[in-house]
Amino acid sequence: MLVSLPHLLLFLFSWTWGTLAATPSHEEVVGNFFSKNGTPGSTSNHTNNWAVLVCSSRYWFNYRHMANALGMYRTVKRLGIPDSNIILMLADDAACNARNSFPGSVYANPGRGLDLYGDNIEVDYRGYEVTVENFIRVLTGRMEPSVPRSKRLLSDAHSNIFVYMTGHGGNEFLKFQDNEEISAFDIADAFEQMYQKKRYNEILFMIDTCQANTMYSKFYSPNILATGSAEIDQNSYSYENDPDLGVSVIDRFTHYVLEYMERINKTSHESMADLFAYYDPAKIHSNPGVRSDLFHRPLSEVRITDFLGGVAHAEVDTNTNARTEMDGAWAWERLGGARVKAPRVPAEDPDVAKDTPKARQWRDARAWGGVLLVGALVGWVGWRK
Amino acid sequence: MDRIRALLRPAGDRNLNRLHRRQALVSVFMRHIQLIKITLFCLGYLWMLALPSPRLGRGTYIDENALGPGQVNTRWNWGDVANADRYLEQLEGLRDSNATSEQHAKAIMTEFTKLGIPASTQNYVFTSSTGKLEGTNAYAVLSSPRTSGTEAMVISASRISRVGEGDGTPNLRGVATVLALANFLKRYSLWAKDIVFVVSDNYVDGMQAWLNAYHGEAQSNLQAEELELASGVIWTALNIDYPGHSFSHLGIFHEGINGRLPNQDLLNSFHHISRWTGGVPVLVYDHLESHQSHIPSWIPRSLHQEIRQYNYRSKNVFRHIGYQARGRGSGVHGLFHQFRIDAFTMFGVPANGPHGFHSIGRVVESTLRTTNNLLERLHASFFFYILTTPERFLKIGSFLPSAVLISVAMMFGGLKLWSDSAWIPAATVQLEKEGDGEGSKWIQRSRPVIPVLGMMLSTHILGGILYSVLTTSWFSNNQTVASALLFLPVATLPLCALLVPSQDTRIVAPVSQLLKALNLCFASTVISITTVANFSLAMSLAILLGIPLSISSPSQSLPLRVIKYAAYIGLGLGWIFAGEELRKALWDWEILRVWFAPFVCAVYTPLVLQAGLVCLLPV
Repeated sequence: MLVSLPHLLLFLFSWTWGTLAATPSHEEVVGNFFSKNGTPGSTSNHTNNWAVLVCSSRYWFNYRHMANALGMYRTVKRLGIPDSNIILMLADDAACNARNSFPGSVYANPGRGLDLYGDNIEVDYRGYEVTVENFIRVLTGRMEPSVPRSKRLLSDAHSNIFVYMTGHGGNEFLKFQDNEEISAFDIADAFEQMYQKKRYNEILFMIDTCQANTMYSKFYSPNILATGSAEIDQNSYSYENDPDLGVSVIDRFTHYVLEYMERINKTSHESMADLFAYYDPAKIHSNPGVRSDLFHRPLSEVRITDFLGGVAHAEVDTNTNARTEMDGAWAWERLGGARVKAPRVPAEDPDVAKDTPKARQWRDARAWGGVLLVGALVGWVGWRK
Repeated sequence: MDRIRALLRPAGDRNLNRLHRRQALVSVFMRHIQLIKITLFCLGYLWMLALPSPRLGRGTYIDENALGPGQVNTRWNWGDVANADRYLEQLEGLRDSNATSEQHAKAIMTEFTKLGIPASTQNYVFTSSTGKLEGTNAYAVLSSPRTSGTEAMVISASRISRVGEGDGTPNLRGVATVLALANFLKRYSLWAKDIVFVVSDNYVDGMQAWLNAYHGEAQSNLQAEELELASGVIWTALNIDYPGHSFSHLGIFHEGINGRLPNQDLLNSFHHISRWTGGVPVLVYDHLESHQSHIPSWIPRSLHQEIRQYNYRSKNVFRHIGYQARGRGSGVHGLFHQFRIDAFTMFGVPANGPHGFHSIGRVVESTLRTTNNLLERLHASFFFYILTTPERFLKIGSFLPSAVLISVAMMFGGLKLWSDSAWIPAATVQLEKEGDGEGSKWIQRSRPVIPVLGMMLSTHILGGILYSVLTTSWFSNNQTVASALLFLPVATLPLCALLVPSQDTRIVAPVSQLLKALNLCFASTVISITTVANFSLAMSLAILLGIPLSISSPSQSLPLRVIKYAAYIGLGLGWIFAGEELRKALWDWEILRVWFAPFVCAVYTPLVLQAGLVCLLPV
């Protein structure tokens, strides 16, 4: 009985393959690969991006607030967040206002170079739908079953969310359409609920209104980075007026942020620290603020595209516990939003599975068993020939 | 420390202490009431004098966010000016051919129709004691291109300018501007409200007829055709008055009838636009600020500037009070206010230049863009104010107290008299029985109120009769004779008071004292109430009634009584000989429903007559 050379080689190969596979599991390899996001240099481990853009003003003379929100909308869309992941709340009474000398258009520059209204605008909450209640429902996900998916923030524990708000505000409040106010506490509590329900990985909160920095002063949930246009007792000013429209077209803070964003593309490595360094109080006419004490990554390692870009990453789900937890959260939601204390998740990433020694032994045994089985099969086939 | 505590919380019954404290306070107050009264009078009158001071008041500002004045490029150009010139030629042709009102209105309507704007005319007839007043208005409605037209703005011009309060100077360029604007504005598609163009006949009566018809208001002496074209709720109105060849400044005339004022935001926006978009300086009325007025050399130079400013402002304040107190609107715009429409007249102050159609067109265009931005009626800013200059104004809080202080002084005087009249010192009364203790020093007496009220009522009825005679056509036809004939009975009838027998003042309080007390209290109440509705009227009343009513007193000698009475008659009834002024006030009442004439007849004159009666009545 001669064992032919090819069979021997095959046997040897399968043996080596089995032993190699046994030491670092291939899931782990893949997991490590994706936890680095594939793009070297970034430290984020999110897998999807969402944007909630809110213009809380209405009326013609607040044209600039609608332009602010539409400017942000254009930017996040350009950087890759699809319409399905953008919740745009807009009074939307500027473009088709009878006073608009350029019907159907909204411009954010006096020269009217770029029509922000364009032909591909998806406003999710329009006119009188822009309310504090709807905003908080969007954030916390407590929706009527009838609400379509396009109006929901379908984020999960791996979502990076960009929340942008603009309108008329004051110390710790933001006015919604001259009708109601949202307070800094409301937003802080909504974010905490999102955190408990694992609706986000990280949040970037940006707000352009008078005394904007007071709006993020009450946040207490982890992994939130916040920035605002003006300190307490400071007004946030408009940037420029278009003499043909007869109204101011954009606010200063948003104008300079958007100006910066125009230099960014999907592959940009610019960090949030770069953006914050670009703020110039002399140009903005107010002192913009940044709050990063709740945020656990150094800002120089946080890419702008981590929040404003639509970087699609795969999620590697190795942990059965994680799955059941997620199922639990889903079931909880289906209960109709009853206030159940969701289990607190540790602050570190829950997805990197920790191997127990027992599991490792079992895996090794399985690997050796596999090698033996393959070797036996190959030997038997060779023997029969 | 203990001493302070003892002072604040003395020992003993707390309630008793409180009563003692109150008693002490009242007695201090009563002892110094004369001083308090005089102080209040002085403060009030000095405050009135201080109103024009440049140190009082504050700068104007625009409160309403939606307005955004002066933020637009204007597109009114020389082509539009040429159009206005062509319209002007036609209007001059009509004037030279002595065309009737109807021909005028028809011609203007035709021009609107040629532009493709729906237009119509409206005939009206007023019947008043002075006869019939006929006219024809022309108007056109430019529908908002992109909204439902539930709101409207008015641009108007009366055929007769406000020069000399409507002395007959034609407002040709004002009308030409309205026509050229119609031609120009219809090319825009951004009007969120309908624009209604009105060319009203005569000075103010045409607009009164048009506005009444527009709002479906019935006026018993007006027969006006119904309007064929309708629009929405009118929010703002701009009235254009451009009588000269050119103008140097645009003057703001803003007083409405019965003392109403437009929202200040409208005036401030116009001022801003005129100054920065049109480049036309703005005045209040047509008062030019002179920098060369003569000031005596003995006054220190450092004060000259302030005196000049005071001088200029006092002219404006006087003019304002003149319009507002008489309830007379300062132009056609004044009629809009009764329908809660904010309106004013922009008056091109006649001069040799440098401004003309080009400036006024741009200013109106930009002002319309601003009022077009409104989302609700003007409501921010101020409705009660006095414009001292185009850039400065007095808030209600800085002028209202002046009249109220005087009213309070009169009220204190009246109440003091009233409480005094109930008591008489025992020393002056010879009573057979001696009282005991301190209480016996004063003796109470009765205060018969009914006869006094009857007297007051009869003066008011007399005023009412006077008013009804004034509004007859007999009076207006023979005014000079009728004035004298009317004056005599009204002036002599109260002399009956001389026949009132004197009573025993030991038992009954003297009628004169009671009448004066009630008269002062009533006058004070009238002034206080009027301050809010029409400050200028209240202020005039405070000046005319304040001191005269407080110093009326009966006297022993008959000639002195009659002389005092004659002075009061002069004060209270002298106006009956102010022929032209009286005629205007009556015309305003009959045609425009200005309450001034009936108010004077039924409130002011009776109040002064009551003071005259105080002098006639026995001590």
